[in-house]
Amino acid sequence: MNSAYTPPMQALIDALGRLPGVGPKGAQRIAFHLLKSDSVDVERLAHSITEAKALVRFCDHCFNFSDGPICRICDDDRRDSSMLCVVEESRDVIAIEKTGEFRGRYHVLLGAMNPLEGIGPEQLKIRELLARLDTEGVKEVILCTNPNTEGDVTAMYLARLLKPLGLRITRIASGLPVGGDLEYADELTLGRALEGRREMPG
Amino acid sequence: MIIQHLELTDFRNYVSAQITLTDGVTAVIGDNGQGKTNLVEALSYLATLKSFRGVPTEAMIRTGADTAVIRATITHVDGREVLIEAELTRTGRNKVLVNKQKLAKSRDLLGVVRTTVFSPQDLNLVQDAPSVRRNFLDDALVALWPKHDALCSEVERVLKQRNALLKQSGGRLSPDIATTLDVWDEKLATHGTQLGDVRAQMLEMLLPQVQEAYVELAELNEDQTPVGMVYAPEWRTQGLARCLSECRNDDVRRGSSTVGPHRDDIELSINGLPARTHASQGEQRTLALALRLAVHRLITTEIGSPPVLILDDVLSELDPHRSAALLRHFPLGQVLITSAGVLPKTAHPDFSVHIAGGTIRED
Ligand SMILES: Nc1ncnc2c1ncn2[C@@H]1O[C@H](COP(=O)(O)OP(=O)(O)OP(=O)(O)O)[C@@H](O)[C@H]1O
Ligand SMILES: [Mg+2]
Ligand SMILES: [Zn+2]
Repeated sequence: MNSAYTPPMQALIDALGRLPGVGPKGAQRIAFHLLKSDSVDVERLAHSITEAKALVRFCDHCFNFSDGPICRICDDDRRDSSMLCVVEESRDVIAIEKTGEFRGRYHVLLGAMNPLEGIGPEQLKIRELLARLDTEGVKEVILCTNPNTEGDVTAMYLARLLKPLGLRITRIASGLPVGGDLEYADELTLGRALEGRREMPG
Repeated sequence: MIIQHLELTDFRNYVSAQITLTDGVTAVIGDNGQGKTNLVEALSYLATLKSFRGVPTEAMIRTGADTAVIRATITHVDGREVLIEAELTRTGRNKVLVNKQKLAKSRDLLGVVRTTVFSPQDLNLVQDAPSVRRNFLDDALVALWPKHDALCSEVERVLKQRNALLKQSGGRLSPDIATTLDVWDEKLATHGTQLGDVRAQMLEMLLPQVQEAYVELAELNEDQTPVGMVYAPEWRTQGLARCLSECRNDDVRRGSSTVGPHRDDIELSINGLPARTHASQGEQRTLALALRLAVHRLITTEIGSPPVLILDDVLSELDPHRSAALLRHFPLGQVLITSAGVLPKTAHPDFSVHIAGGTIRED
């Protein structure tokens, strides 16, 4: 198919279309919207993207998004260091924080095991997780990866790896829609799932 | 459950068409290539979210259009009316609305509409590769118990991931690959075993029904049991976990999974002889019909109302005797029969529609 758009327009649509959750139609709609908008608004958007990209980084410790080398949660000494919640992405930290059910600390893996996308244990922040367990007095690791194929397998892998260390290893309870994503679960369901977590066989 | 109204937009050769249907038998008449199969394909899409012709979604979107829409009003036995709208797109992001509410997952529609389709291609059930019979069994599983759809797709997903991992290994079983493979194998063993169990359960429920249907269609004596149907993959006796570990070296070398539920077959036989290699054409066709009829009856008993029955071009292929036997032995609810010629007298439709070039004319 030959493009009906001018090259810069097509480039914009293509770039937007590569964003997660945006299909070709959505990309078109956003592009049209942007071009109709005030240039001040568009520049503000462009600026906030580049600024966020420049200033927001991963916490050196837990790999959550952070504006400094150490994120606010890692920096907060009122948090309970004996409980460590392992999640796939920063957005899962946000989802769990919203439940208000958890006062421990987090570790973000930055993904889940997914051979189809070339992601194995080495591509995840697992080595960094092991290092933290040695030094931080963690007694329980809660595996809060997504309740889908890849999240389950990642939790199983971690359980096998961590069990021999003599820690309590639990997995977030289902009750969460199977095959779903943590971030889409409502706060009540997610809070309950966290309460009803179960011991993981290693 | 009755389909009351069907509306198609850019589906196959239909630009825009609609039809009002009733309980009872509707004949769908038209010359070759006019859109009869397309019409019933749209109906069965609502039941399975795929084409019964085994083609990708894209093939069902009218050439030149971006999306196809199937809109149907159905009435349940209890009088409840449901409006279903399914939008098919070329990107595969299909959308389903029930009473104008978007379903979180399109597959939540499974179980709302049920259809049984007979088509000339059904002969493949007996003649083709194991995958056809496996799919037949899994389709029956999902039609009866929609929740098993999640199990089937989970097994499929784990296998895809496992095969990707095996390919990455480059034929070498390093310690890292081995520990990663351990967890994928555990996952496959758990869900694969569950799938094997429900397949076996389904087969056990189906066998007496197939037996009975075959005897009726072939007009044999009631006490005869000519049909054999065996689902006994070796991995189920040994345990999938054990088989996976035994085959590990092989799997790594070949870069694919050589054992598991994705290679299962159902062995069909007539009078003790393998149906694929020994049965006559007529016997094979009768067996294929009996398989479909069995699922139709099983669902009718378990659910309490018959699925919409679709006979696409099958009567023309049967001798008058058998087509009469087929129609006589159905738990009849709503029936659609397509034909390019006149229907056999035994079919006596309550209602006829004529199809020409993607337009529907109701009598
Ligand atoms: N995606 C599509 N877009 C446009 N036309 C299509 C599409 N798919 C199929 N067709 C056309 O639809 C026509 C009707 O097909 P259909 O299979 O419904 O015929 P039929 O009435 O069942 O014929 P027969 O009696 O030969 O089985 C075919 O001529 C085919 O070219
Ligand atoms: Mg046809
Ligand atoms: Zn941190």
